[in-house]
Amino acid sequence: MAPTVDPGWIIVEEGFTLTREHELESLFTIGNGYAGSRGSLEEGSELSAPATFVAGVYASEPGSVPCIALVADWTRLSATIEGNPLRLGQGDDLEHRRILDMRQGILWREWRHQDGAGRITRMRTLRLASLADRHLLVQCVTITPENYSGSLSINGILTGPVAQVTINGITIAMEVASRVMDHAGHRTRAIELIDGRHNVELTMGKTYRLDRIVALHTSRDTTEPHDKARGHAERAIEDMAGVIGEHCDAWRARWKTSDVPVDGDPAAQRALRFAVYHLVTAANPLDDRVSIGARGLTGTAYKGHIFWDTDIFMLPFFILTYPEAARALLMYRYHTLAAARAKAARLGHRGAFYAWESAENGEEVTPPFVIAPDGEVIRIFTGEQEQHISADVAFGVWKYWEATADEHFLVEAGAEILIETARFWASRAAHEEDGRYHIRGVIGPDEYHETVDDNAYTNGLAQWNLEVAAQVVRLLTERWPTECRALSRRLALEPDEPRRWLRVARDLYTGFDEQTGLFEQFQGYFELEEIDLAPFTPRNAPMDVLLGRERIQRSKIIKQPDVVMLVHLLWERMPPEVRRVNFSYYEPRCGHGSSLSPAIHALVAARLGDTALAERYFRQAAEIDLADNMGNAAAGIHIGSLGGLWQAAVFGFGGLSLSGEKPEHNSNLPRSWHSVSVRFYWRGRRYELVVPEGIKEIGHNP
Amino acid sequence: MSQPVVLVPLDGSEQALSALPVAKVLSEIESAALHIVYVGEHEPAVDEPGVRLGREVPVLEGYTIDARVGAPAAVILQVAAEIKPRLITMCKHSSPEDGKLLGRTAMKVLQNAPCPVVLVPPERAATPWRLHHILVPHDGTPSTSAALPPAADLAQRGRAELLVAHITNIGAAPAESGSFTTPFYVDQPQHEWPAWTSEFVRRLACVCPLGHLHVRLFLAHGNPAAEVLRLSKRQSTDLIVLAWRGTWEAPRAAVFKGILREAQCPTMVVRA
Repeated sequence: MAPTVDPGWIIVEEGFTLTREHELESLFTIGNGYAGSRGSLEEGSELSAPATFVAGVYASEPGSVPCIALVADWTRLSATIEGNPLRLGQGDDLEHRRILDMRQGILWREWRHQDGAGRITRMRTLRLASLADRHLLVQCVTITPENYSGSLSINGILTGPVAQVTINGITIAMEVASRVMDHAGHRTRAIELIDGRHNVELTMGKTYRLDRIVALHTSRDTTEPHDKARGHAERAIEDMAGVIGEHCDAWRARWKTSDVPVDGDPAAQRALRFAVYHLVTAANPLDDRVSIGARGLTGTAYKGHIFWDTDIFMLPFFILTYPEAARALLMYRYHTLAAARAKAARLGHRGAFYAWESAENGEEVTPPFVIAPDGEVIRIFTGEQEQHISADVAFGVWKYWEATADEHFLVEAGAEILIETARFWASRAAHEEDGRYHIRGVIGPDEYHETVDDNAYTNGLAQWNLEVAAQVVRLLTERWPTECRALSRRLALEPDEPRRWLRVARDLYTGFDEQTGLFEQFQGYFELEEIDLAPFTPRNAPMDVLLGRERIQRSKIIKQPDVVMLVHLLWERMPPEVRRVNFSYYEPRCGHGSSLSPAIHALVAARLGDTALAERYFRQAAEIDLADNMGNAAAGIHIGSLGGLWQAAVFGFGGLSLSGEKPEHNSNLPRSWHSVSVRFYWRGRRYELVVPEGIKEIGHNP
Repeated sequence: MSQPVVLVPLDGSEQALSALPVAKVLSEIESAALHIVYVGEHEPAVDEPGVRLGREVPVLEGYTIDARVGAPAAVILQVAAEIKPRLITMCKHSSPEDGKLLGRTAMKVLQNAPCPVVLVPPERAATPWRLHHILVPHDGTPSTSAALPPAADLAQRGRAELLVAHITNIGAAPAESGSFTTPFYVDQPQHEWPAWTSEFVRRLACVCPLGHLHVRLFLAHGNPAAEVLRLSKRQSTDLIVLAWRGTWEAPRAAVFKGILREAQCPTMVVRA
């Protein structure tokens, strides 16, 4: 096996820059949705932060919010040649490169090292998290003594307990099986195996290989995780070629449905594959009790918490290319409905108010405050006020239904989410003297402005949620009357509730001005201070840091698309002129303080035909993790932004529209792109969109 | 191993004596000998250095006075080459009022010194000095980290607190590979700031062992030199440690020069 050579499929880091280690570890994470491991150096460095995570396994210290748990680090290797440790920076590193091979889902490392005695050792490592068998983690090391014969001692170390029980009572079991092969592929006879350490007499010019397989099971999956892990590892090590081959086949199949080939822009091509790679490594269609945290399984930042990023930014990718993964993500929302209902009830509302941040069971886990590095104690209101999350979840449900026509999901889970979120809005909106319903005291996607009244995005999506819930009740009544009656009984759905939802939706204040075509982002926004962002460009800090929180709250500067986000999501409901005037008004006022911002601006600008502006935003979004200038990705990659990047390419530049009976498209390609293509599932059929040529049907769902 | 040395150049002026209290404390912290080089353009009269040192002599136990004749900067650098001091501590021979960055000799020594140079404002005169707070401005680039090991070492030996200031400003992110600046994207402050702070401190610890050192990280925004000076005044810092790339070219040297010119406390310059 060898790394992929095509530069469009690989992310390469040549040499070694210590201070980049953390961000490279994030970028080079391998994963399969069940587990993820940061791409740390095998032997470690002064700045290594190796970490392996299991989706859905959190640890909660008393008095603090839950954090995704770290399991034992299985990637560590300690090797000595004639007693001298093999370490980067000790001796001469004649060659050193790391390659994230996105096509094969493998992290490679190639290293030629010369020690003080002149011994040159060539080493290649392979690391993967099997996409075919998600409980297997694989590591292979080949070692070639180029100019000497001597003794090698190599030890695969499991740092941390093999068996671990989290504070939350989840047992994590890891079992390792390993073997050393000589150049002919036979187990070497010169092995002494003591406490996991292999001692081998090397012959000059011959290549030796260490194979390690780690089987990982938890009590979330099985009642006997230890036994399962042990047997699994022992069986797998006997068929390494098979394990690796099946993994590569699984990736090949995934890319067949998910690749977005771009002709004309190699950087964009690589960025899109990087996005797809990380989205795939974060999702597990086999586990519908977990979702994807804001940094996936690539770092401890954001504690593995789940935000609207999943429903609004990542889900479209999964719906269209990996619907079984999309379904699992939505089922997580279904399984956490109880917590959402409890949160709404606690605040005196009906229905389901989802957690702004959630972990294993859907309870609200947003930290209530933070101390900024300038010493300011910042009270965090998002857990109480960022209520659009409920409509975001509903939006994801409906988009999945529209794309898949998955009746079982809609009847068994989706409809309930839509009904309960609509109930929340109907009870949350207050009827006031002006005859309108208002939603006061919220935070929209623009989190620079807190406790605002009638946020356009919140109200717009709440209105949509109310209408769609009424529609789904009608649909259930007509097509699945028995199931509908059962659901109505279970939810105590009153016959006139859907009519009330429609009444609230009709009379809900939207902030829309018929004269100008503008939505006011919230009541009073147009009276705020106008601040020109041009003098603050370029900058390497967000605007709220440069201006201070108080000043930014008094200004029209917004953190990320809010009205523009509404335009994006409810595109078909907006007349073309309304889309244009709102984008023209809000785009120059956006400070892009969120990594979710540039991709959506790219998408909307492209759909509006401003491909030059769209391309600029696309590049900005593409560089968030991949550019080597700010250490942005040190604590994990921005997977929501990666989902947005995919959407910008497909819905923006590709102009894919799924609002009608058949998929349609408009070509909005930027000048440097000759073509872009995407394959997707839509209502039981498979399509391929090649821009600018068009859409063709290429088959049925498997 | 021979005892380390702190070199203190004097020229017979009252201003130059401002370096002595600082050098004394630093030599105590470093367990170093104090080597005073008295440089004149002519042969000193008998006992002249001692006379000039006047009342300082009784408090400077164990010092060496080395009287030399010649061009001051050349002589100081010559002595430094001979004795390989850990530090050179000398008066800036300039003040914010005179608009000069450094006196001619101090400038030449700074440009060619083989070790860190501590530059003392003449306004301090010979008043006592102590080391409680050390401030290191850090722009997030790996090269700026050159200031950290000597600063952390001094803080550890002197039981001082280490303050690290990261100042954000309008402008492009640094081009240097491995830089770590303020996050441009703060998706959720409740997560981003703790992660950023932790990462910043880990990178500091990777450059130099922090041990049990008390480190405080400050984030501010605005003109970097002005913000560092403001923070220095507010926190009553006793020493600012600066990494210098050996160039006077804009834009980074502007920050370096601004701090060097205006700092009211001694400034240690470490070559990046």
